[in-house]
Amino acid sequence: MTPHTLTPVAARRDPTSKSRVALVRPKKPLRWITTAAVAAVVVGLHAVAIQGTGFKPELLVDGWKGMAAFTADAFPPDLSWERTLKPGLEATLVTLWIGLLGTTFSVPFALLLAALAARNTSPHPSVYQAARAVLSFFRAVPDIVFALIFVTAVGLGPFAGVLALICHNTGVMGKLWAESMEEIDAGPQEALRTAGANRIQQVANATLPMVIPQFVGLLLYRFDVNVRSSLVLGLVGAGGIGLLINQSIKSFQFDSMLTHILIVLVLIVVVDQFSAWIRRRLAA
Amino acid sequence: MPLSVQGLSKAFNGRTVLQGVDFSVSPGELVAFLGANGSGKSTTLRCVMGITAPDAGTISIAGTALDRLQGRELQQARQRMAMIFQKIHLVPRRTALDNVCAGALARIPTVRSLTPLLFPAEVQQEALDCLDRVGLADRAFDRVGRLSGGQQQRVAVARALCQRADVVLADEPVSALDPHAAEQVMALLRELAHSERIAVAAVLHQPDLALRYADRSIGLLHGSMSFDLPSTEVTAEHLNALYAPDRNLAA
Ligand SMILES: Nc1ncnc2c1ncn2[C@@H]1O[C@H](COP(=O)(O)OP(=O)(O)OP(=O)(O)O)[C@@H](O)[C@H]1O
Ligand SMILES: [Mg+2]
Repeated sequence: MTPHTLTPVAARRDPTSKSRVALVRPKKPLRWITTAAVAAVVVGLHAVAIQGTGFKPELLVDGWKGMAAFTADAFPPDLSWERTLKPGLEATLVTLWIGLLGTTFSVPFALLLAALAARNTSPHPSVYQAARAVLSFFRAVPDIVFALIFVTAVGLGPFAGVLALICHNTGVMGKLWAESMEEIDAGPQEALRTAGANRIQQVANATLPMVIPQFVGLLLYRFDVNVRSSLVLGLVGAGGIGLLINQSIKSFQFDSMLTHILIVLVLIVVVDQFSAWIRRRLAA
Repeated sequence: MPLSVQGLSKAFNGRTVLQGVDFSVSPGELVAFLGANGSGKSTTLRCVMGITAPDAGTISIAGTALDRLQGRELQQARQRMAMIFQKIHLVPRRTALDNVCAGALARIPTVRSLTPLLFPAEVQQEALDCLDRVGLADRAFDRVGRLSGGQQQRVAVARALCQRADVVLADEPVSALDPHAAEQVMALLRELAHSERIAVAAVLHQPDLALRYADRSIGLLHGSMSFDLPSTEVTAEHLNALYAPDRNLAA
């Protein structure tokens, strides 16, 4: 055995020396065929989709005059307090309240369903399947459809919007929470099981306290989404600033519409910053 | 005899992992389990704990065979055993005191265990006393995540005390700790065994710790007992046979 000596890196490798192993990549003859096939399928799908949606950019070019007139009408935004700003701000608050209640009032339902729909906390496989099915249903039905249904039950107004958000958000948040529970370390729960704790005690004292940061992060994210959804719900009669935007378009008051949209912009930015701030504090 | 195990056998997918393991641990005794990776130490503890179902064998606690018991009685007998894990398995966001209280959950009504705020005062006092036993009463209201690894493992020991266990099974309790913390935890386990008359069985990967702290050492080799001796009688040959069986065969 020769003793190892340290040589400078450059000196160690002589470029003319023959390597003892030849670099031969294994050939994969089918690779380019697969790539071409995938590309062809993707292009084909897009061609069909363009047909199916009537996607014609030339219409946009022809219609630019209408858009220009519309935009010219909207400027300058109507900043009169009584006519536009005050009702706009009040309606924005309603929109915010719809988003808030729609989020918080869905927490108990989402929590229960999440605990039943997470593999590590569910009491029985059949309960797990049932809870998953319920969550899928509430997630699959869009909040706007729930809103239309509730409008027929409780009439036009913010209450219908809150009910709609509770339903849809239960489905989405329950699924997200169930998944974050399944991802956490099972050790603490097993430790409590061996100490004789029952299932509810295990969940309350190991699983839930471990996932609280993830839960709060997801809750804030859903609050953010729900405030934006409640805008759209306003368009179908569930009150709030969405309703005002709809009305000002229908009555050709585009300058008020622009004011409302600007208020909405501020609201969205504020909510976004607020939830980002809380999440940062949680992570610290 | 708080814990006695006879003829414990277990196979996973037809591969024998434990074969006829017999041992017992008396009150006030610290017994170390030694053996190479895969020799079946964890499986032994998991079978005793009821986490893994053994294929054959009798496990008795305080003279009662567990396979004679059912339902509530079986659960109560099992609660006399506490387990301590290599990965500690505490809830990092909760305080040391709340984690120790969780050892007593089996004695707390479900509605009062939904949040630590509802834990009965006497349980909290007992938990504080247990923390005091492991020398951490002053850290009771610190989050466990803020404590060092050695302190966390002592909190886990306190949780076992709060469970009022008379058998403590520890699977590599010091493998994740630095040498100093490992000595502290081993000293604590020995002291608890001797002063509280608890039967302690600990899987260890450091033979020197085992020989210095354990009253008795058990060697497992390919799922069978290789030796069961007072620690003072364990020799280098015994240990060589455990960790380098193939080299020994060749020699
Ligand atoms: N759930 C399981 N399914 C299949 N095989 C398993 C299972 N649990 C353990 N084994 C096998 O049983 C054997 C003994 O494992 P065990 O964990 O008891 O060893 P150990 O002595 O604790 O080893 P280590 O020192 O690595 O912790 C190993 O070969 C392992 O692969
Ligand atoms: Mg092991």
